[in-house]
Amino acid sequence: MSVSSAGDMKAPQPKKKKSGTSELMKIEQRLAYWLLLPTLIILFVIAFYPLGSVFYSSLTNRVFASGREVEFVGLDNYRNLLSVTVQRLNPALDENGAVQTDPDTGETIYERPIDVLPREPARYRELDQFSFFGSRYVVGAIDRNFLLAVGDTLQFTIITIAVETVLGLGIALLVHSKFPGRGLMRVVMLVPWAIPTAVSSRMWEWMFASTRAGFFNVVFQNLGLSDGQTAFLADAAWQLPAMIAIDVWKTTPFMALLLLAGLQLIPGDLYEAAQVDGANKFRQFWSITLPLLKPTLAVALVFRTLDAIRVFDLFQIVLAQSRYSMASYAYYELINGQRMGYSSATSVVIFIIITVFAVLYIRLLGVGDDE
Amino acid sequence: MTNKNTFTYIIGRVLFWLMIGLIALYLLFPFYWAINSSLKNENQLQMTPATFIPRAPQTLEVAITLQNYASVFQNENFLRGLWQSTIVAVSTTVLSLVVGAFAAFALGKLRFRGRTPSLYLILSMTMFPQVAVLTGLYAVIRTLNLPATPSMILSYLLFTLPFTTWVMTAFFRGLPLDLLQAAQVDGATPFQTFYMVLLPLTLPALVTTGLLAFINAWNEYLFALTFTTIEPNARTVPVVIALFTGQISRQEPFGEIMAAAVVVTIPLLILVLIFQQKIVDGLTAGAVKG
Repeated sequence: MSVSSAGDMKAPQPKKKKSGTSELMKIEQRLAYWLLLPTLIILFVIAFYPLGSVFYSSLTNRVFASGREVEFVGLDNYRNLLSVTVQRLNPALDENGAVQTDPDTGETIYERPIDVLPREPARYRELDQFSFFGSRYVVGAIDRNFLLAVGDTLQFTIITIAVETVLGLGIALLVHSKFPGRGLMRVVMLVPWAIPTAVSSRMWEWMFASTRAGFFNVVFQNLGLSDGQTAFLADAAWQLPAMIAIDVWKTTPFMALLLLAGLQLIPGDLYEAAQVDGANKFRQFWSITLPLLKPTLAVALVFRTLDAIRVFDLFQIVLAQSRYSMASYAYYELINGQRMGYSSATSVVIFIIITVFAVLYIRLLGVGDDE
Repeated sequence: MTNKNTFTYIIGRVLFWLMIGLIALYLLFPFYWAINSSLKNENQLQMTPATFIPRAPQTLEVAITLQNYASVFQNENFLRGLWQSTIVAVSTTVLSLVVGAFAAFALGKLRFRGRTPSLYLILSMTMFPQVAVLTGLYAVIRTLNLPATPSMILSYLLFTLPFTTWVMTAFFRGLPLDLLQAAQVDGATPFQTFYMVLLPLTLPALVTTGLLAFINAWNEYLFALTFTTIEPNARTVPVVIALFTGQISRQEPFGEIMAAAVVVTIPLLILVLIFQQKIVDGLTAGAVKG
């Protein structure tokens, strides 16, 4: 249906210009529109129309591949996705009305979160608990998994980007100096980038195996850090660090290559001048390299951040449904849950978060300033 | 004094090469581990602690087996996946080069109204998150009743086409105008100018962007996984590897998975070896202002 509407589109007619414009200009203009047309039609069919329909169906209860009538539900999907509540937990009382304490630790026992979390409009589930001024509170959410996915994805993004920027900059500075075998080193740097994420995810999954058949358990045991039975991918404490380790390995070389290209744009005589003025290496880095590298760094950060926020392959393959990224959550809602409206709302939230990050970055780092 | 300088120089060199070696080890080790594991049989894979080269469980002598590779190459799903990936990646690349080159010529060399907005539109599309259109695109495909293979080709244009167009626009713009004028003086139509003068000149750019489009399409996973849900025979190789189960139902057959991983990666590594300069150019073209 969208193709027929797209196919009906006529090439935008060149605007009639005042007489005096040469015929050649008109021909050029018309040719330009015809050349652009295929790209615009394709982008309409695969990007703009679907994006519009995602926004629309996020406001409905549409179910995937079903004949059920679609109802407009307003912002219900978003309310279910994002609702959060904080409730105070009262200490649990025994029959005599006294406060119960744990016989072992002497800590106060509180009532169960399930008793205080609201059931309307939908059941709230426990997200977290915290103490504040001597009272105990529970944080509840209707869609616990999605909010955890948002938190995990943002944490993943921030740590990954920070680590790979530092590491990437280090590698770029090192490889920037002239040495025999530099070309070979660049090939080596392209290896993690070229391996499909689906494939590298499985490679690392095997390295993280939960017995000493896995590389990391062997290393951890040899270093005396563990008994060699750590379930890196099942243990909640290790899941995110493992994901971060895999992604840092996979994407640091990309960061390093971008920064390397940026370094090569800095004229060498600047350093010679600094040398003559007696500036040491650190000073040179701080006053020449870093400021001149800023535009490249900014672009690299934007690319990588927007990429990390939408991480999918890694989480879906390695953790499946034991822990979600935002994108893998949207996928499972669509494919396993068949809840198209709800999944669309998830996509819209991801889209908005990505847009906010992009705008923030462009403001903060002034990407567009030196156009 | 000179002695001390030589000394610090040597220390510096040693540290430098140590760092280079460490980085190379870090970047290559997971791939080495995959090769190592792919050459082990089931028993060797379960040995604890894992050995750094394939060794026989009892004698600890080096023992290499190729059985994982043999079974991977007898695995119909895997072979079909390789074929599917080739079709999808090649078609996507050709399509985005042709369509993208047309648009890029207009954006880079022709004067028309709406040029700047079109440029910004395409630049913003290069960062477009695929997951944001997942449900909508799936609905479009279901409405059009497209089979999985053309669906993947079409949807991959979402990330290859804007990138190709953007990079090609920059290349076209850098080409000297007098060549165009010379062609026009000789009586060539704008289309002939494009086809006979500009296209041969932009061949290097086509190779660069084509390589990246090909690798990105070869590696794509989200759309491939989603659109082949009901059509398992159309699965591309990343999906096959992600969903890999052994011929006989048992624990995850990591030996075979690693063999498959190595087989899929080798063509990419060959591309990287041959075209490293072009790939780096393409990767940085969008990001670094020259």
